[in-house]
Amino acid sequence: MKESLMEIIRCPMDKQELELEPIQESDDEVLEGRLVCTECGEEYPIEEGIPNLLPPDMRDDPPA
Amino acid sequence: MRDEPSRRDVRETYDRIGGHFSRTREHPWPAVERFIERADRVGTGLDLGCGNARHAEVMAGRAERVVGVDLSRSVLDAARERRREHGFAVELCQADATALPLATRSVGLAVYIAAVHHLPTRDARLASLDELARVLTPDGRALVSAWSTTHDRFDREEGFDTTVDWTLPGGETVARYYHIYDPAEFAADLERSRLDVERTFEERGNCYGVVAGRAEGKPT
Repeated sequence: MKESLMEIIRCPMDKQELELEPIQESDDEVLEGRLVCTECGEEYPIEEGIPNLLPPDMRDDPPA
Repeated sequence: MRDEPSRRDVRETYDRIGGHFSRTREHPWPAVERFIERADRVGTGLDLGCGNARHAEVMAGRAERVVGVDLSRSVLDAARERRREHGFAVELCQADATALPLATRSVGLAVYIAAVHHLPTRDARLASLDELARVLTPDGRALVSAWSTTHDRFDREEGFDTTVDWTLPGGETVARYYHIYDPAEFAADLERSRLDVERTFEERGNCYGVVAGRAEGKPT
């Protein structure tokens, strides 16, 4: 995902802003990383450039 | 298959069939092309339930940034492949239509095509329409479609729940949930949501609605 997407993406649960924690980047793309809600602290993974902003109960992995 | 599929089941279905499904969905629909081509240029466009992003591709000429949202990761992988092959810009995001990860009033133009009918409860379908209303800018517009009872393959007057098998190349079938809308019911659900309905129409066995974001003063 491009960093500019941060302007409009929000936490799906409380619609608050997200903080980007990049792990791997190339050019202007974040390939791997995390998006963390600034309000509730929920973490959303970015894998192969695509953020997974499914609500926690819709994901494959059970909530930690 | 259980009687009451969950949204999670819907996601798992498309994760299984996504790659094959997307290869059979090459062309944008004429009603969607007309809607997008007549729209004013906007900052952000949204293809909700984007599948392989064939409609996001059309929208790329009308918006500075296009976001393609889908429930299924394997479908999004197919969209990424199409983006690479066809060379258009779309930001892909995995999300649930009833809990959109987008800022309020951030989207000027949206299409929500052939996706709302996969949500297994009316409450979920209405919640997704309310979410669409929330993210549209005050002058933002959207086109929503669902499969209609008027399609040739159906023999009923009123909306109903059903499953339609998808056959994978190896012959295995995967059941997909649909709520088939009758046109009056579709219009009523749009009206009941927080969207403002400009008009509804039926074309090639699909119900369509041209809708706008929440007008000032409409109860929330």
